[in-house]
Amino acid sequence: MSEIIGETESLCPECLKVIPAVKIAENDNIYLEKTCPEHGKYKVLIWRGVDDYLSLKKYACVPSKPNVCAVDKEEIVCPLDCGLCKEHTQHTCIAILEVTNGCNLKCPICFASASSGYKFHPDLDTIRKMYQTALDSVGENVCIQISGGEPTIRDDLPEIVKMGKDMSISYIELNTNGVRFAEEIEFLQRCKDAGVDSLYFSFDGVTSDVFMKTCGRDLLETKLKTIENCKKVEMGVTLVTVVSPDINLDQIGQIIDFAKKNVPTVKGVHFQPLSYFGRYPIVPQDENRTVLPDLLVEIEKQTKGQLRVDNFIPTSCTNVHCDIKSMSVVLEDGSLFPLTHRSMGPPKDTCCIASKTRQEVSDLWRFVDESMDSSNESDPEPGSWDEFIQRAKSNYLTISSMPFQDVWNVETERLRGCCIHTITPDGKLIPFCLFNINSVHGQTLYRHEVFGKYSQ
Amino acid sequence: MDVKFSDSVKELIGERGLKIDDVIDIINTAESSNRKLNDGSKNLAKKRIGEVTIYAVYDDNGNVETAYSHRMVLGEIQKTTDEPDPTNWVCVSCNEKAVIGTVLMTYMGVTRSGPAVVCEKCGDAWIEEYLATKTIAAAEGLFEKKKA
Repeated sequence: MSEIIGETESLCPECLKVIPAVKIAENDNIYLEKTCPEHGKYKVLIWRGVDDYLSLKKYACVPSKPNVCAVDKEEIVCPLDCGLCKEHTQHTCIAILEVTNGCNLKCPICFASASSGYKFHPDLDTIRKMYQTALDSVGENVCIQISGGEPTIRDDLPEIVKMGKDMSISYIELNTNGVRFAEEIEFLQRCKDAGVDSLYFSFDGVTSDVFMKTCGRDLLETKLKTIENCKKVEMGVTLVTVVSPDINLDQIGQIIDFAKKNVPTVKGVHFQPLSYFGRYPIVPQDENRTVLPDLLVEIEKQTKGQLRVDNFIPTSCTNVHCDIKSMSVVLEDGSLFPLTHRSMGPPKDTCCIASKTRQEVSDLWRFVDESMDSSNESDPEPGSWDEFIQRAKSNYLTISSMPFQDVWNVETERLRGCCIHTITPDGKLIPFCLFNINSVHGQTLYRHEVFGKYSQ
Repeated sequence: MDVKFSDSVKELIGERGLKIDDVIDIINTAESSNRKLNDGSKNLAKKRIGEVTIYAVYDDNGNVETAYSHRMVLGEIQKTTDEPDPTNWVCVSCNEKAVIGTVLMTYMGVTRSGPAVVCEKCGDAWIEEYLATKTIAAAEGLFEKKKA
């Protein structure tokens, strides 16, 4: 029995043409089905649990449009005329600024297809303009993720970071494989001194074989060394784990355990189900995909119920089917105490959620800080609320996930609600997924077309 | 009792999201039932209204000094030491000196302890302003923040 529960548009994996698509509920799964007049029919699993899929809609936010739109055309074809445009419903929450497409690794899995073909290495003037694009569009509380390629291959990275902070960027995180930071703690210190607020650090497993598959090299010791160095210089880290049923789905419990043991240096784990764009090993079938409900079921199973499916809620910042997060305090006995639960219901006020998300973390800690300042007790009573607050401040763990859309499962409706945007050197902001999506032949709509123009 | 508020107290009550009428209600209830603390010049009264326990500190002429609240639910007294710290408060209905003790406080399914002024005779407990507006507010905020 199957039923159409929604209509949207998608792309043809062969030719990248915009084609109509329907969402179909079938055997308690949701599929995206689309037909290209030239290349035929595609059907891909996008969710498990029809009721769950529909009920998450109550988390949808009140849209908050971008301040400025780079694309000003009467007739817009979404997503081919992106930049953003007046049809885009959500402004930027995190802007991704890529400072190179080069890398010190050549992983078999890489969304950016780093170290291939042309060399994108923008000069400081171009980078300044890219920061300005984010500032113009977002206005205040701008969060930037410096990414690539591998940004640490640039010796002028501290200078790039300092420039951003001097231009009043509020928060800068660095997306890195951490290899250089394992080898050169001085460079890590210089990046921190320049203003890097935290690392978005790829960490795919707790055994060597996982890294052999994701990076083509045994990087386990290097990764552990990076965390040690971060501990020494007091740099906060979010572990970013690519998840694939063929590689490491069985390790997510161990990764969460590892994270718990390394708080407060490790602030969170972000699970990134493998998206099939950039460099990836196979043409995916449904069994090669980890849809969000699959991930949550595994988290519940592998943490032995410390974190349950119901502890995960959409951020309500981007589309409700794009991401999920939980926040927990790591208690004295090492167990997780979740602060998020679906029974609490959707946010009371979903207006301006993107700007709230940008402020959320800093505000929370300011609030807790104020309460700490006034209680001078250095050793709170065991089992007391005072102790809970002190633990919450230092032993806090966020577990989150955002599976990116690829050419098979992309929905234009979700792209229009996206709040994570790549900054282009020509003054545009493009939803991250859309920026990276490529056809089965490797052709992109944006990444290579845009960066290729600015390559050396 | 004719309950009176200075402008600054009115402002404080507003900032804390409380209602003047509720504070008047708490004081009138305490005065008619005698369920309150008194230290010779001031009274401390409390009442659960909906999801919130609200406290009022006022003098014998009905001048309100401060009001504050918490959403946690107070449980039983966990312990007082053999020689508990004395307070200036007297539990009026028991005519018993109140002491500093530890009570269980539950919020969103979590129970933890905290200090409170307690009457060992009737087992009632009152949270002091510093705790309600600092630690408890921060704990409640952690949960509420995640909800928002």
